[in-house]
Amino acid sequence: MTQQENNADESPLVRIRGLRFRRGSRWIFDGLDIDIPRGRVTAIMGPSGTGKTTLLKLIGGQLRPDAGSIEVDGQNVHALSTPELYRLRMRMGMLFQSGALLTDMSVYDNVAFPLREHTRLTESMIRKLVLLKLEAVGLRGARGLMPSELSGGMARRVALARAIALDPMMIMYDEPFTGQDPISMGVLVQLIRRLNDASRITSVLVSHDVAETLAISDLVYVISDGRVVESGTPEHLQHSGGEWTRQFIQGLPDGPVPFHFPAPGLREDLLEAAP
Amino acid sequence: MNKNRQIEIWVGLFMALGFVALFFLAMQVSNLGTAYKGKTFTVTARFDNIGGLKVRAPVKIAGVEVGRVAGIHYDPDDFRAVVDMAIQAQYLNRIPEDSFAKILTAGLLGEQYIGLDPGGSEDMLADGGEISVTQSALVLEEVVGQFIFGKGQEGAK
Amino acid sequence: MTHLLAQLGAWGLNGMARLGRAHLLLLPLLRGLLSILRRPRLLLDQLYSVGVLTILIITVAGLFVGMVLGLQGYYILSRFGGETALGLMVAASLVRELGPVLTALLFAGRAGSALTAEIGLMKATEQLSGLEMMAVNPQHRVLAPRFFAGIISVPLLAALFSMLGVAGGWMVGGGLLGVDQGAFWNGMQEGIDFSDDVINGVIKSVVFGFVCTWIAIFQGYDCVPTSEGVSRATTRTVVHSSLAVLGLDFVLTAMMFG
Repeated sequence: MTQQENNADESPLVRIRGLRFRRGSRWIFDGLDIDIPRGRVTAIMGPSGTGKTTLLKLIGGQLRPDAGSIEVDGQNVHALSTPELYRLRMRMGMLFQSGALLTDMSVYDNVAFPLREHTRLTESMIRKLVLLKLEAVGLRGARGLMPSELSGGMARRVALARAIALDPMMIMYDEPFTGQDPISMGVLVQLIRRLNDASRITSVLVSHDVAETLAISDLVYVISDGRVVESGTPEHLQHSGGEWTRQFIQGLPDGPVPFHFPAPGLREDLLEAAP
Repeated sequence: MNKNRQIEIWVGLFMALGFVALFFLAMQVSNLGTAYKGKTFTVTARFDNIGGLKVRAPVKIAGVEVGRVAGIHYDPDDFRAVVDMAIQAQYLNRIPEDSFAKILTAGLLGEQYIGLDPGGSEDMLADGGEISVTQSALVLEEVVGQFIFGKGQEGAK
Repeated sequence: MTHLLAQLGAWGLNGMARLGRAHLLLLPLLRGLLSILRRPRLLLDQLYSVGVLTILIITVAGLFVGMVLGLQGYYILSRFGGETALGLMVAASLVRELGPVLTALLFAGRAGSALTAEIGLMKATEQLSGLEMMAVNPQHRVLAPRFFAGIISVPLLAALFSMLGVAGGWMVGGGLLGVDQGAFWNGMQEGIDFSDDVINGVIKSVVFGFVCTWIAIFQGYDCVPTSEGVSRATTRTVVHSSLAVLGLDFVLTAMMFG
């Protein structure tokens, strides 16, 4: 099914080259190169603290890199003027970890929000669109609820309906599976895959939940210490020889990522006189 | 929608209340309400010393306010203060020309105002007229000084 | 010793950086006026939560402050036989000082802290970030309507405070203590000048509204996005607003009545 689009446009939707980003004195990204192909689910994986959310914010233009470039659909994100950046963002959806629903509005108004802000549609048109988007995430019946009345999984699905309200070319998912029970996790996995296939949205997924992520992605990048250490299809990664990747994918407690925080030898530490 | 309407009504009420309050402060609390909307004519008087008289101080005849002090300036030619009074137009040609203008104090420590004692002349004050007979303000230090040196004859009133 | 100096330096630099950020925020806030003109509804909703919800505390406080002024003023003035100046005393202290200042302090406590907490929580729950990613500028969409609602509300609330204060003073003075009604109002009208007193009081309250709302919005927008950060920002809003109001009141009074 991805064949036709590949023929239509072979160039990647997002092209990251030599990205360097520093927080304080620590380099979070140090020469990162990533290509995100159109119309597919690309996962970016890595242990906590590798700056996966930061990467999404960099792609969305909310943060500025210290060096390197990020191109989305051929436009260098950080060379755009503010209005141009805002126009580009209208074509990107982002699903935040918490959902980031506006708490003073109902579910319906939250999904209608981007439509009301960016289009001049009549209320009856907006109503139709909102109900369709809510139907797509299975929450048409919850339109009258306030965000505080939703469970975490439902809030994320509403946020997803909001993210696709303007029919974006790309959706970025920030840790969509964290803190979900198995059922809502399954629902989300299915939703992401279905949205991607049905409307050919490019999906970028940032996660450290190995099993779910591998199950739905077409392409996986594993990052550690600010660089890509491994990339390829999920099958490739599962059989990859890389020691680091094996530890991460199989969840081994010790390996290249040590179990122990760096410390002097236990023996010396214990024998040392108390201060 | 219902909630929106409620908000609209409340905000409308708030705005109305706020402007009523401002209007109240302007008309009932401050002197704006007592300012004459009608026309006035100007009469001047020269004083040796105006004490603490200020612009907008009342001008009274027999205790009734007939106008306000419109301007005060010093005339360096005859070393006196020139006070312009804006008198309500209804008293045009109704105040005798030889009226006596005094600077008085409301109460012991109150504000100073100009009191006019009507004279007996047939000629009346017209616009731009001048009151020639004036009495200066009572300056407390001078009164006390005169009292101490035993020269005081006029005394405090 | 050097450690202490370094700490002092860092504290000073942080303070300056914060002051700089606060001023840089003013530009987008003012530019947000355009989106408000296009969507007055945004302002309306904020006028409700910033202005209308503050009316109650202003009403009660204004009435009681006026009654206390009437009572205290009467006891002091009657010693000099100057009860007739009661109206002037009550009105002058309200219109010039107490109305704008107390309204601003109450506003900072009631509306300012709520604004900071609301914006801070929106930041902590990624709502502001989410708006940015939906191509909506939160500075225009969220901050600016609150800012202008504050600037509009405070002068109106201050006028309300002064009016109710005068009414409270009149109730106590005229009703309870038997001060002559005519003297009460006449003294007031002769002593209070519209442009010198009323207009200057309004100018004061506009300035206070501007400063209080600006501080509240900046503290919310600049807070550390955690529950502790939000609570600290809320405290800072009340403290900074109160100090700013009292300090500015001195400067403005010196400029206007000096």
